[in-house]
Amino acid sequence: MISSLDKTVGCMVAMRTKLLTLAALALLAGCSANPIYTTTGVVLSNYSEGEATPYVMQMSDPEMACALGEGIDPLLYSFSRVTDAPDSTGSLLMLLAGNCSEYQAWEAELDYLREDYAGNVPAAKDARERAKRLNAETAKRRYIAYQRAMAAYDFDPGAEELECPFLFTDQEELTFLMGLLTGMQAIVNDANSGAMAGVPRNIAPQAERAAQCVDNEKWGGLPNAIRSLVWLLLPDTRPNLSPDPWEMLEDSSRLGIAAGFRPSMALEAVAAETFGKPEVLEDVIARFAAADNDIVVWDDYRLVDEVARDVIQFSSDKYWTANYGYRTPRRHFGKMSPESNDEDVETMDLDDLL
Amino acid sequence: MIRKSLLALSLVAAAPFASAAPVKMCVFDVIGANGDMFNMVKDYALEMKAHGVDFELRPYTDEGVAVGDFNSGQCDAVAATDLRTRPFNRFTGSISAVGAIPTYDDLKTVLATLAQPKAAPLMKEGGYEVLGIVPVGAGYLFVNDRSIDTAGELAGKRMATLDYQKDAIHMVNHVKATVVPSDITNFAGKFNNGSVDTAYAPAFAYEVLELYKGISDGGGIVDYPLAQLTIQVIAREGVLDDDTAQKSREVAWGMYGQAMNLIQGQEEAIPDDKWINIPDADIEGYQEMFRDNRLQLRDGTEGADKVYHPKMMSLLSKIRCSSNPSASECTASDRE
Repeated sequence: MISSLDKTVGCMVAMRTKLLTLAALALLAGCSANPIYTTTGVVLSNYSEGEATPYVMQMSDPEMACALGEGIDPLLYSFSRVTDAPDSTGSLLMLLAGNCSEYQAWEAELDYLREDYAGNVPAAKDARERAKRLNAETAKRRYIAYQRAMAAYDFDPGAEELECPFLFTDQEELTFLMGLLTGMQAIVNDANSGAMAGVPRNIAPQAERAAQCVDNEKWGGLPNAIRSLVWLLLPDTRPNLSPDPWEMLEDSSRLGIAAGFRPSMALEAVAAETFGKPEVLEDVIARFAAADNDIVVWDDYRLVDEVARDVIQFSSDKYWTANYGYRTPRRHFGKMSPESNDEDVETMDLDDLL
Repeated sequence: MIRKSLLALSLVAAAPFASAAPVKMCVFDVIGANGDMFNMVKDYALEMKAHGVDFELRPYTDEGVAVGDFNSGQCDAVAATDLRTRPFNRFTGSISAVGAIPTYDDLKTVLATLAQPKAAPLMKEGGYEVLGIVPVGAGYLFVNDRSIDTAGELAGKRMATLDYQKDAIHMVNHVKATVVPSDITNFAGKFNNGSVDTAYAPAFAYEVLELYKGISDGGGIVDYPLAQLTIQVIAREGVLDDDTAQKSREVAWGMYGQAMNLIQGQEEAIPDDKWINIPDADIEGYQEMFRDNRLQLRDGTEGADKVYHPKMMSLLSKIRCSSNPSASECTASDRE
């Protein structure tokens, strides 16, 4: 009797739960979307944010991560048709997809420099055109990643008064910060495409303001590196009594090494190229290579450090290819010339043997 | 002998272009090596390689420094706006004469005309040679109050004016506005924080320098080209031989379409409701006012310096009257 009562109560509870679930599904689904799709969207979004993103951030293989971005983004973001747009994960996936286009653009750029060095003009022009198209694709992807990152935290970058978004976790802070960086990169890619992508250039001053919303030291100097790059680009944005942008970039790089994640160094290298300072470029590449000996990489965000390495490697390869016709030999990473350090080695006189 | 030949061969292999020493060029772009203009100069340099010239480009974000380094011999050539390259060639430096090229169609005619081999003698002046001219876009007047839509309304208004641009200073004084000396790096800040009422700039400044902040709700951009800004490549005479220098000007002219695409994109990025249209009836009055100023700046009268080259003024007048023959200037007794 008691057990049958138990069963009845149990059934009623189960039915009630099912009804509640159905009601919840109906609410989530609205009138038109298939409730299963909506639920799947919610589950996938939550899984991506809670599990997949931290996993991917720990990866040390940027190319595999970029393939994930290209492959998964259209599927995951398609759920914005049936539920809230998964903007934070969508931003990171599109960022990774942008990296895929950029890797191809880099190869095309190195082809151009190599052919230019060899004096093969038609091949150089072809490679340069290829690089421009790929830069346009990269710029478009990165602009979307930037927009999603801003939307994810309801942040209006163009607002008259800076109102920082509510960022509750480290992952949210990093997603926001990466969004700003990606917006800046989109401008560079667009310029290198011959402005084919039409990325609005006011992202730069907007990123300068928004970078103040996250802690500089915690994020390896990256917020200040973004700010100082914008100060160099647009001197008007530099506040009175602010430190010298080049000193601030170098300091950001130092903080990056201390934090175990070095995107600030990548920005310092980009600044050195942009403003034609080969001595700074040489120095930052050497510091990056030297840091490899003793850096303790921030395990949770290893991927970011690896992507920064790719940027530095490309900067070095560009310099080598433009000046010597080939990319940086492995043992010369951190140096800007093929001269070896073997000149001072003592040699024995061979006269007695000859 | 064999050893010598081998050595020579190995040197050739190591440096395929050792015979043609690179021509160092200081290139101005407000945002450096990743800017639109620097990228266009890269395209130009690549084209020139096919004609045997190996350019080595160096980015500058301050064109005063770029021209300074050119003057001190650190570069063999410089690419900068004509406002800065005027001292090297007053003729091509007068392309940006105030109000002298009212449409992009007229600009196209000007640049095509100057790229002809017949124009070559005009490209040399005082030991320097113009190697190419590429448009940057028309300069427009940005105002913080839409009621400033006639020249008369400018009286008493504060205007950010490039302190090294003598013709602009003369023009601002002419309309009885107040000159607020500025440079490329600070005019936008002055306009955006309200310390000046008006400023002038090409369309690209609208987004990157956030000039929409200075415009805010009440202001706008006067839809009439004040002047046509160009980037000019100047080299010391003899850096390129005559044939190659002419080829260079043709290569630069070949980039006109690419440059105009860029400019059109920048102008289209400005929302329609920010443009202030000037009634046709008023335009003729402005054209006459600009013409008076040009004559003063050509002849050095009314307190003006002699800034504009008479031959360029005459050429631009011919081009304007060819596209708009009914303009009153075309029958004026003091035609340029």
